[in-house]
Amino acid sequence: MTAEYFVLIIGYVFGFYMAWNIGANDVANAMASAVGAKAITIRQAIFIAGILNIVGAIFIGSHVTDTIRKGIVSTDILTDPHMAMIGALAALLASSLWVSFATWKSLPVSTTHSIVGAMVGFGIMAGGFSVINWGKLGGVALSWVVSPIFSLIIAYVMFKIIVRLILVRRSAFIHGMRLSPIFIGLAGFVVVLSFLFKTPLGNTLALSDATALLTAVFLAVVLGFSGKWLLSRILRDQVDGDVEEIFRRIQIGTSCYVALAQGANDVANAIGPLAVIYFLVKTGGVAGTIPVPTFLLMFGGIGIACGIAMAGHRVMDTLGNKITTLTNTRGFSVDFAAATTVLAASKLGLPVSTTHAAVGGVLGVGLAHGFEAVNFTIVFQIMLYWVLTVPAAALTSMVIFKILEFII
Amino acid sequence: MRIPFLSMFMTSPFDSLQEHAEKVKECAWVFQHAIECHMVHNCRSFDGLREEVKRMEQEADAIKRRIRGHIPVGSLMAVPKFQLFRYLREQDSVLDALEDALDWISYREEPGIPEQFQKEFFLLIDSVIDPVEELSRMVAEARKYFKGYSDKQRKVVKEIIRNIRKQEHEADRAEDIVKKKVFTTEMDPVTVFHMVRLAETLGHIADHAENAGDMMRAMIAR
Repeated sequence: MTAEYFVLIIGYVFGFYMAWNIGANDVANAMASAVGAKAITIRQAIFIAGILNIVGAIFIGSHVTDTIRKGIVSTDILTDPHMAMIGALAALLASSLWVSFATWKSLPVSTTHSIVGAMVGFGIMAGGFSVINWGKLGGVALSWVVSPIFSLIIAYVMFKIIVRLILVRRSAFIHGMRLSPIFIGLAGFVVVLSFLFKTPLGNTLALSDATALLTAVFLAVVLGFSGKWLLSRILRDQVDGDVEEIFRRIQIGTSCYVALAQGANDVANAIGPLAVIYFLVKTGGVAGTIPVPTFLLMFGGIGIACGIAMAGHRVMDTLGNKITTLTNTRGFSVDFAAATTVLAASKLGLPVSTTHAAVGGVLGVGLAHGFEAVNFTIVFQIMLYWVLTVPAAALTSMVIFKILEFII
Repeated sequence: MRIPFLSMFMTSPFDSLQEHAEKVKECAWVFQHAIECHMVHNCRSFDGLREEVKRMEQEADAIKRRIRGHIPVGSLMAVPKFQLFRYLREQDSVLDALEDALDWISYREEPGIPEQFQKEFFLLIDSVIDPVEELSRMVAEARKYFKGYSDKQRKVVKEIIRNIRKQEHEADRAEDIVKKKVFTTEMDPVTVFHMVRLAETLGHIADHAENAGDMMRAMIAR
């Protein structure tokens, strides 16, 4: 059927566009603290983020995707394949439009929430208000408040600990080296747990919570001490060096993790609806979860990488120049808080974006007097757009759905 | 704004604070130049230098207004906003005092400072400029402290503040010497008044520098 292939082609185009947008905008949020803290150069950030996003998307990214992200809309509406296809396309178009609008007007919106909102709009049009899982949607709203606050607290505590235990000391560098296994270990613990809990890689290993925790603790200890050994080799010539140098090395590790995790998690935002269309065109039906072929994941990953390569530079350039007070100890506190928040939230089943967590982390360090100046009130502005994104994307999606129903 | 992470970071007021401190230092040098020129005979550039000081004072004023006007409600800073403002006010008062001294001289340009007091006045001027020169270094070192919070760096800043206090004490002594000498010399009363008041105005320069140091001490208090 030509109409369906036509839809599939549009799906490819807009799926790629969404992936491109994730790369262009969201990656900057994830890599921001590392670039701002000059742990890595812009060129390195673009290279690392590009490669690791593709790797994350293909090897860790979900090969089975929920047809509807985060189960916010009941899958009952998918029984009619024709409607499901129109819906998926409408959702993809609506979220692309909303993200484009946000880019044009420079509004801080999350691609995750755009797609969630678009799905809600499609759900309401296809099955009425009853198909929306309001509890889950409430969870999304809750995460707007909970994730920044949670991240704020962790970043605050982490930075205070670094100041108390290391920075104020007379021989700060030696103290830093002595305590480095603890910080590397803590970061390693969160990273390992994230991989075990959050990614499909962990699902295939299917470890119980207790085993996973034990594995993480074991790996964290190993990582901590081997990390210290590595550090003492790298920073061998610095007898009384700068503590920031220690955290710079640790931050390179954490930012790699962020890029990898982003590729793994966010690729579904772009290619989830595309996968639904693809599946419908190929098989004529759809279910609650569908397999995602590897080439689609790769397609999404490359889309993200293209976004990073083409637009990431401009964003990170401003970042590196504008944020001068973000040092590595602060950057590490922010990264650690964000990673921990994302881990905890996804373990609780709350959809949370890295962006929100990172914003909370910056505020936490700011409250601990870590920055010469950050603006707190901007957060309320940011929150307003977080709240607006879902209904705005939903409305757009509803309109597009109606139009598409006429055409196709 | 598309990147929320970016938009949270604002231009640091400490950048401008540093700029202001540099301006104060430069202004102090021009001031010294002007007043030394005034003391030697046939000085032609006094008015020009005085204008220069006035212009720099205005530039510094603009920096001060920029700092005060660009810290929105809800800014998180290394130090409380009003502590920063109080510090800034003292740093700015140094400039006002420099300007006041030149103004005071200009009210009675002839016959100027009598020759027998010139040595004492040179000493007084040197000793009031010393603490002013320390201010910009103090701001730079304090910024380093806010970056690392290390005890070592805090000691460095405290040492500068102590140094400023000592220099202000020196300036006080120089002021006393000038005043004593003016009062013990037989002269017409107008000159006595002009000289005594000039010595006091010069003393204020160092006083404000010391106050700035004290404010900085409050900012780095744990």
